[in-house]
Amino acid sequence: MAQRIAHIDDDPDIRDTVRRILVANGYEVDSYHTSVDFINSLNNPESVPDLAILDVMVESMDAGLKTYLELHERFPEMQAVFMTSLGDMILPYFADKSQEWVCIIEKPVEPTVLLSMIRDRLSRNPQKTA
Amino acid sequence: MAEINFSWSNDDHQFDIAAAREKGHKFSNEILIKNIRWFIIFRWAVVAGLVLLQIFFLTASEPLAWLEVKENQTWPLAVSIILSGANFLYIYALDFCQPSRYNSPSANLWAQIIVDLICLSIVVHYVGSTVTPAPFFYILHIALACIFFSTIESLVVLIIVITMYTILLISESGMFIYGYQAVMVDGDAVPNESLTKGRVLLWMVSLNSLFLIVWYVVSRLSIVVRAHERHLKEAMEQVEQAQFNRDQYGMLVTHQLKAPLDAIRSKINLINGGYCGQVSSDIKDVLARIDKRGAGMSRLILDMLKLERLKASTHTRETMEQVSVAAMIAKCIDKLEPVTNARNIKLDHAIQDFGVTGMPDQIEIILENIISNAVTYSFDNATVEITSAVNPLDTTGIVMIADHGIGIEEKDLPNIFNEYFYSSRAVVHNKSSSGIGLSLVKIAAKNNNINIRIASAPNAGTTFTIVFHDVQPFGEKAE
Repeated sequence: MAQRIAHIDDDPDIRDTVRRILVANGYEVDSYHTSVDFINSLNNPESVPDLAILDVMVESMDAGLKTYLELHERFPEMQAVFMTSLGDMILPYFADKSQEWVCIIEKPVEPTVLLSMIRDRLSRNPQKTA
Repeated sequence: MAEINFSWSNDDHQFDIAAAREKGHKFSNEILIKNIRWFIIFRWAVVAGLVLLQIFFLTASEPLAWLEVKENQTWPLAVSIILSGANFLYIYALDFCQPSRYNSPSANLWAQIIVDLICLSIVVHYVGSTVTPAPFFYILHIALACIFFSTIESLVVLIIVITMYTILLISESGMFIYGYQAVMVDGDAVPNESLTKGRVLLWMVSLNSLFLIVWYVVSRLSIVVRAHERHLKEAMEQVEQAQFNRDQYGMLVTHQLKAPLDAIRSKINLINGGYCGQVSSDIKDVLARIDKRGAGMSRLILDMLKLERLKASTHTRETMEQVSVAAMIAKCIDKLEPVTNARNIKLDHAIQDFGVTGMPDQIEIILENIISNAVTYSFDNATVEITSAVNPLDTTGIVMIADHGIGIEEKDLPNIFNEYFYSSRAVVHNKSSSGIGLSLVKIAAKNNNINIRIASAPNAGTTFTIVFHDVQPFGEKAE
């Protein structure tokens, strides 16, 4: 069974790029335009992904960070990575958070880097590894 | 070869936010505890003084007679024993008992004030309440209460002082205790020591008025000082909020400027990764050029945000940590590996590791930018030498980064740390220069008390020497 990845980004070109890369590599991808759409989808247990790729600035400056915290609370097992244009410039906003849980991929999307990061993160959750 | 030495002193009057934030309208428990410890130490000094006074009373009969002071007095020893016992109790309550409602720093301080006032009253009683300056020591307690307590609390201390001194005078006047005479001052020296009602009234009114005036003046000053502290704290909070808002605005602008470039470059990566089918080498070449220009623009946008953050960090005290220079250099070399490989530039390094105390992110910015510049402005297939060493004589450590590239003209050297400075020769060699990199280095160096020397000659190369102060040597050279 293909591993499920949720991708949240308000930029349609980035959503399309990530979807193409992940689908071509055997993942099932759910793309969301906003964090609210993604959070709402989590009410359906079948929609809960193995990994979420979050943008930082979607609806608001810190929507991605709030989503990250909510995911951490509700689904501590779920892996999550940030994909942002700001790269590690957002790190100061994670001063009190575990570096283990914070993974940042800087845009632009680079297929090999994206796939490598995702494989690494998914391997940390052995129960869901395909 | 032209040389220039850049030094940024940190002696200018930077505002100490951390210290200012500690000051507030009410003292925190942490500050109260510090004051309690200071009072305890001060009391030990008083105890030592009393013991010396006791020794003086027992051994110096002639000076005592000359001073018209009675011999064989034991009150200094008694008071010093009481104060020592009380001091031990304060320490026990502070360090060995669980804090509670009745064992708070404030309660401890109140206990100290009340016990001290009782001891002082005993001393005043024994040495003479109207013939020696002893009662004036009450003023010390009033002043301390005004400084360390609220106005109402200091008023309570004032009332306690006035009550104690009044009771003392009334009791000594013979209304309650018959035949009082000061034990310290010789009765012959003060013939009419027996207190009359007029004398009692005079001392009671004058000294209690003095206490009241001192309380009013000091508490008034305290109110003014605390108001200023409160305003200062509010101003600092506003500055902090403004800095946060500014950073968020910077992030927003950076994001909005960089996001379209990232979308374009992501699509280029998609094509280059073969996700859109095969493309001709001509198209790949064009895409590479587009990507290179986009990368330059992205770097400029991120550097602008970094510059703003570094400027803001000069007003705050970020955490200083000890950093291994060898580890930092290795990290920078690792980051630059794709570029050095692509241009076949060799990074030779002979590193003697040492520790420097500074802000790790900013030290990384300094090393990364200078090494990156050395690579950027080298010719293809060249070598960049990185060496580090410690000078044990003056505890300085240096990192030298030498390239054999295009070099810097003498007229440009004084300007290279200016924001958005481009030399024409540099632009010809590297079209995607942001003109910000060395501005970042300058601010980071200033924040971390680092000096930089530069020696350069056109078409011969440039050597940057980064001078760290107060370094800690770690080990031998590694190549």
